[in-house]
Amino acid sequence: MAPSKKKHAKNQACVIPGGFTVLSLQFSSDSAARHSLYVKEHRVRAERSSHRPLDRTLFVLNIPPYCSEDVVKDLFSQFGSVQSVELRDHPGSSQESGPKLSKFFKPAEKQGFKVGYVVFQISSSLPAVKSHPHDVPLVVCTEHRPVKTGLQKWIQQYTNSFIQPEQLQQKVDSFMEDYDKRKEEEAERQKKEAEEEQEDEEGWVKVTRGHKGTKARPHSEAANQRTLQREITKKKRKELLNFYTWQHRNTQKEHIAELRKKFEEDKQRIALLRAQRKFRPY
Amino acid sequence: AHYENEAPVKAKRSKADHAGEEVVYHPVKLSRNDLYRPPTAEELNQLKEAESLFHCSLLKMQMEELLKEVALSERRKRQIDSFIQTVTKLIQTVPDSPEVEVSDLSWLSGAVKVPFLLVPKTTKGKFHMAPPSSIDLIGSYPLGTCTKPNVMVDLAVTIPNDVLHPKDVLNQRYPRKRALYLAGLAQHLASSSDIGTMQYSCLHGNRLRPVLLLTPPGKDSSSFTLRVHACPAPGFFKPSRFHPQRNNIRTEWYTGLQTSQSGKISSEPPTPHYNSSVLGDLLPRAHLQFLSAVSSQCSAFTDGVALLKVWLRQRELDQGTGCFNGFLASMLLAYLLITHRISNSMTAYQLLRNALNFLASTDLTVNGISLAKDPDSTAVKFHDAFQVVFVDPSGHLNMCADITACTYKQLQHEASLSMQFWDNPTVDGFQCLLMTPKPMIRTSDHVFQLCELVKLQSSCKKLNLLSELMDHSGDYIHTALPFILSLLQQGLSQRIHLLTHSLSPDPKWSVESEAPKHKAQPPLSFGLLLRAELSSTVLDRGPPADSPKAAEFRQLWGPRSELRRFQDGDITEAVLWHGESICQKRLVPKQIITHLLQLHADIPESCVRYVGAMVDDVIKTGSEESLVVVQSYDDLSRKLWRLEGLPLTITAVQGAHPALRYTQVFPPRPLKLEYSFFDREKTSRSLVPKEGKPCPVYITPITVICHMEGSGKWPHDRLAIQHIRAAFHIQLGELLRKHHNYTCRPCPTHLDVWKDGLVFRIQVAYHREPQVLRESLTAEGLLVVRDNDEAQALEMATIHKPLLTSTLHGLQQQHPCFGAACRLVKRWLSAQLFSDDITEDTADLLVASLFLQPAPFTAPSSPQVAFLRFLHLLSSFDWRNNPLIVNLNNQLTAVDYTEIKNGFMATRESLPVMFIATPKDKKLSMWTKRSPSIQMLQRVIMVAAESLKVLEHQLIDGSQKQDVRVILRPPLEAYDVVIHLNPKQVPLLDQAVDPPAITFSRGVMSGSAAQPGGPLPVIDYNPVSLYLGELREAFGDLALFFCDPCGGTVITVLWKPKAFIPTPFKTSQVSARSVEVTGDETKTVPNVEAILEDFRIMGKGLVKSVEARTEKWSF
Repeated sequence: MAPSKKKHAKNQACVIPGGFTVLSLQFSSDSAARHSLYVKEHRVRAERSSHRPLDRTLFVLNIPPYCSEDVVKDLFSQFGSVQSVELRDHPGSSQESGPKLSKFFKPAEKQGFKVGYVVFQISSSLPAVKSHPHDVPLVVCTEHRPVKTGLQKWIQQYTNSFIQPEQLQQKVDSFMEDYDKRKEEEAERQKKEAEEEQEDEEGWVKVTRGHKGTKARPHSEAANQRTLQREITKKKRKELLNFYTWQHRNTQKEHIAELRKKFEEDKQRIALLRAQRKFRPY
Repeated sequence: AHYENEAPVKAKRSKADHAGEEVVYHPVKLSRNDLYRPPTAEELNQLKEAESLFHCSLLKMQMEELLKEVALSERRKRQIDSFIQTVTKLIQTVPDSPEVEVSDLSWLSGAVKVPFLLVPKTTKGKFHMAPPSSIDLIGSYPLGTCTKPNVMVDLAVTIPNDVLHPKDVLNQRYPRKRALYLAGLAQHLASSSDIGTMQYSCLHGNRLRPVLLLTPPGKDSSSFTLRVHACPAPGFFKPSRFHPQRNNIRTEWYTGLQTSQSGKISSEPPTPHYNSSVLGDLLPRAHLQFLSAVSSQCSAFTDGVALLKVWLRQRELDQGTGCFNGFLASMLLAYLLITHRISNSMTAYQLLRNALNFLASTDLTVNGISLAKDPDSTAVKFHDAFQVVFVDPSGHLNMCADITACTYKQLQHEASLSMQFWDNPTVDGFQCLLMTPKPMIRTSDHVFQLCELVKLQSSCKKLNLLSELMDHSGDYIHTALPFILSLLQQGLSQRIHLLTHSLSPDPKWSVESEAPKHKAQPPLSFGLLLRAELSSTVLDRGPPADSPKAAEFRQLWGPRSELRRFQDGDITEAVLWHGESICQKRLVPKQIITHLLQLHADIPESCVRYVGAMVDDVIKTGSEESLVVVQSYDDLSRKLWRLEGLPLTITAVQGAHPALRYTQVFPPRPLKLEYSFFDREKTSRSLVPKEGKPCPVYITPITVICHMEGSGKWPHDRLAIQHIRAAFHIQLGELLRKHHNYTCRPCPTHLDVWKDGLVFRIQVAYHREPQVLRESLTAEGLLVVRDNDEAQALEMATIHKPLLTSTLHGLQQQHPCFGAACRLVKRWLSAQLFSDDITEDTADLLVASLFLQPAPFTAPSSPQVAFLRFLHLLSSFDWRNNPLIVNLNNQLTAVDYTEIKNGFMATRESLPVMFIATPKDKKLSMWTKRSPSIQMLQRVIMVAAESLKVLEHQLIDGSQKQDVRVILRPPLEAYDVVIHLNPKQVPLLDQAVDPPAITFSRGVMSGSAAQPGGPLPVIDYNPVSLYLGELREAFGDLALFFCDPCGGTVITVLWKPKAFIPTPFKTSQVSARSVEVTGDETKTVPNVEAILEDFRIMGKGLVKSVEARTEKWSF
């Protein structure tokens, strides 16, 4: 194992520069080698997220792929009851947008090493974790908590992958219903806005800034591009080419520069072929 | 002026800098100053010229450079001249010896042997040694057409007249005296220290014309060879004695039997070959004079000859018995000049082109040509005696006496091919005409060898060739060869385009040993260029039984010919060959060849070593199985089209799987399952693998893309499209179940259909979905279109893959061996653990390029030759500086080619290392975008070159231990960790390169495929690939993982050196790493022990052992 760890006395927590505490983790009690988890209290200035309360959230690095959320929850329960566990591929703020997806439609998760956010019930659990001695490893797979890996896991995965068509149909229907509703609302709102922009009896038009993406005219990059292009060609048509002497001279200069560049390129191409001995037939 | 001088210096310097490493093309960067400086008048002119002449002068420049490479340097010439002087002086001092009988060799010391096979033993005449009357340079060196490599300088030593007698022409007396004279010279030279090595050889393999090979001493010994010929004085023998109808070897002397009509010369058979071999010694000086005169008229003559020689050499036509050598090349150009087919002012480039054009269009086997003054009278008389006729200026000698008709046909074939390539603007003419070697094993579709050449002696007897044997002075191999060739040509007739044979190399032996026997030469190889559509038919239909030609047919085929009645009512002679599978049918030519050789030439089957399909064994059968898959798919496609009750109509059903284009290495087989082997999943009536049993049989899902009509009903939102698609899968599955009773399993991404013992995976596609994926709204509400991986992957799966599949399916219809070639190639790639780097689609495209752009070959007609060319392509293609253009469906024009090349050059740095352009993908090379990486490509190139070398050696050399699978066993020494898998859990075990001794029951019953319905089988469940996937996801940034997907039982691991450099602690980079604290610094390194432990944990049940090669690790 890494020699650095031997410096620390037995039964003591190992804290490395940067404020992380090192916890060792092994798969089963008879495993020879151990992984190291790096833990620290979650502290991010910008984040005011409700599901990662600053004083109760533990930030865990380097969680091996065979540890699911349940396993992690169980592992850390010895320090105090755990409210929730969130595993992610990369550290960062949680961002969830769009409509809630059923599990059938969620993109497949990556099965690599993860970072975790463990939220405890009470804030006093954090110091308990941080003072855990590094030479007492956390054990993933024990008798009362068997963790399936390898063949057993794949067979289970295969068995669980079956989806009842009726259930799937139901999910699709409910999503589409939801989707149609949203579309309808959208259309309703647009209609209302359009109505608002109509003249009222006295001839007044109410002009509003409007919501995101609800401009009346087509508002896309391609359309912008087209408009810009039209402007440029209009401008070009008015311009005089090779009218002034300096313009004429410039064109000629550009032409010669172009020729020179091509000449140089050809020469280099031949030199390259020669250098590579591309002419030796055998 | 400053500008002009500067550039070459720069180029030189950069060349020196790059010496040793790979030279690469960098886009030119000129400073603003350089670009916009005021030009001088001179520079302006130069620029204009370069602009207008560059492209046509490129070929000219290339040829000039090539000529520089093959020309002799001044230094070499000086060496040669001084060595000639030394040797001349030495030879002039050869001592006299007393006159003895020819058979008396006592004057020779035992150290030097006579370079002659004395058959029959004795002949009359007296011999003594005497200094030569003159010593002259002849051949290519004085003419200036001598080229590298194998520089050969010819020196003619004239035997003094008193040694010879004008009647020596008879009964090999002259050739024997000449051999004695050479032996005398060798004995004299042996004592000198100015000679490096001394060997005997014979001119063009003709044992009657021995020569002495001398090399200079010291380190120059390999740089050139001096060839000493002994000749009579010009005009010593009367040329009229050598008329092709005259006899100069008496049967009585040759056989040693008294015949009743002895003395009657009229009944003696003519000896044209013997005559021309003696005559050849009389004329070299005259030929040199003639050629010098022609050469002085035409300034490009020597360069033209040099180019033609390079062309011949690349085609292995310039050396050996019956070759079209440099001398003939010069004579051919002289003929063209004299007959005004080319003019004196033409360039070397034009000379080559005209010579090839002449060869392609003139058949010298029918209409011989002559350099003599009155050609009409001469050429005709030679045609009876020789197969190919080209008469020399004297009108007495046929210079093509030894060339067989087959060799000349080969020459013609090559010439016309070359003309085609030259005229094709999309082919790099220079490369394929002059730079690419065409060894027989890579050129011919099938090759076979005659191994025990001594058996040809009995062939001569069987074919009744005594007088021909006499004419060839006992060389039974070249006596029998033309007859065997014509026999095979007759038997194979419509099945082949061309029959070629190897030219026996000139034997060389030390002066101290006896001349080797005829049988001592390497085996004769024959090459067949097959006609793809006819080569594997099992029936040879002959003439009707009552026609006069029937007897001829029966004579040719012997007992194999039998009367057959055909469906159209005809009763004809016919021969039926064995051949049930496509694999066996490919070997019908082999059956024909062995049968004919046995029947007519007494050559047993054991002597014929057929290397046409030795490698094919690796992929076994499979062509038939592909056919079954395609048929089943066609049926499914029809049924899908006919489905009613869908809210939208189906607009296209397309296959997108290698099995549907015949290129799957081991195509899926219809299966019948043994249900008791599996567990059941109750709710969905499906089988699942049972714990503790061997892994069940692997069932490949065959991808089928089903395009749905575009309509306003489709939502314009990515998630909504996903859901609608899922609904379609459910509905399609429901309809297929209801109408056809197929078991189906709908998923959000696909629908699996269990049909005819196969599983088809239907994916519904909507053509506007990629566009929807690309669109997004910015915060300001602006609609932007941005390309992304997701959209590209979707386009790849639903548009490009189906298109490629149908295009290659079409290619298979044109070239029946395309599929088998792809399968062979992919078997090699997977066995060498490259299948993740060169993907299936890439490999198929590479093979397709061999069929679409075969230059300088013809499109391959056997999987083996395609495989050899694939290895050659991989290893020799300049991937750094050239795009590989695969002209699918012939859609690209010459203009497109230039456009692709220019685009490629301009943006080389940002493009994939292996760049493959197709008509639908000219700029991006989408198939090779992700892989291979530069390192892997280099390794692939290296392994391909090595495999090619080993394999060709195996195929050519019959004496080696025959095991072509050597090239499929990758070396495991290079890897850091080897994970051994439990064979029981490797489902594709029986596809392994070396089939395992034990087999496991995998839940399959023999017998025909299952009926529709029944529970759904275990689909796409392969623990090995699941494990690999997990390993790559977890440790992909620390190591590379390799595995043979076709039954490999090891996974090899290579650490990434970069990941093992200690790095500072960062929250984003601590995966599987341990920390080391030194003072304030915290560094992390991979936690190797824990990782190795993880390999075991994650593959529990599959992994047998993890072998860490710690001794290799350097961190």
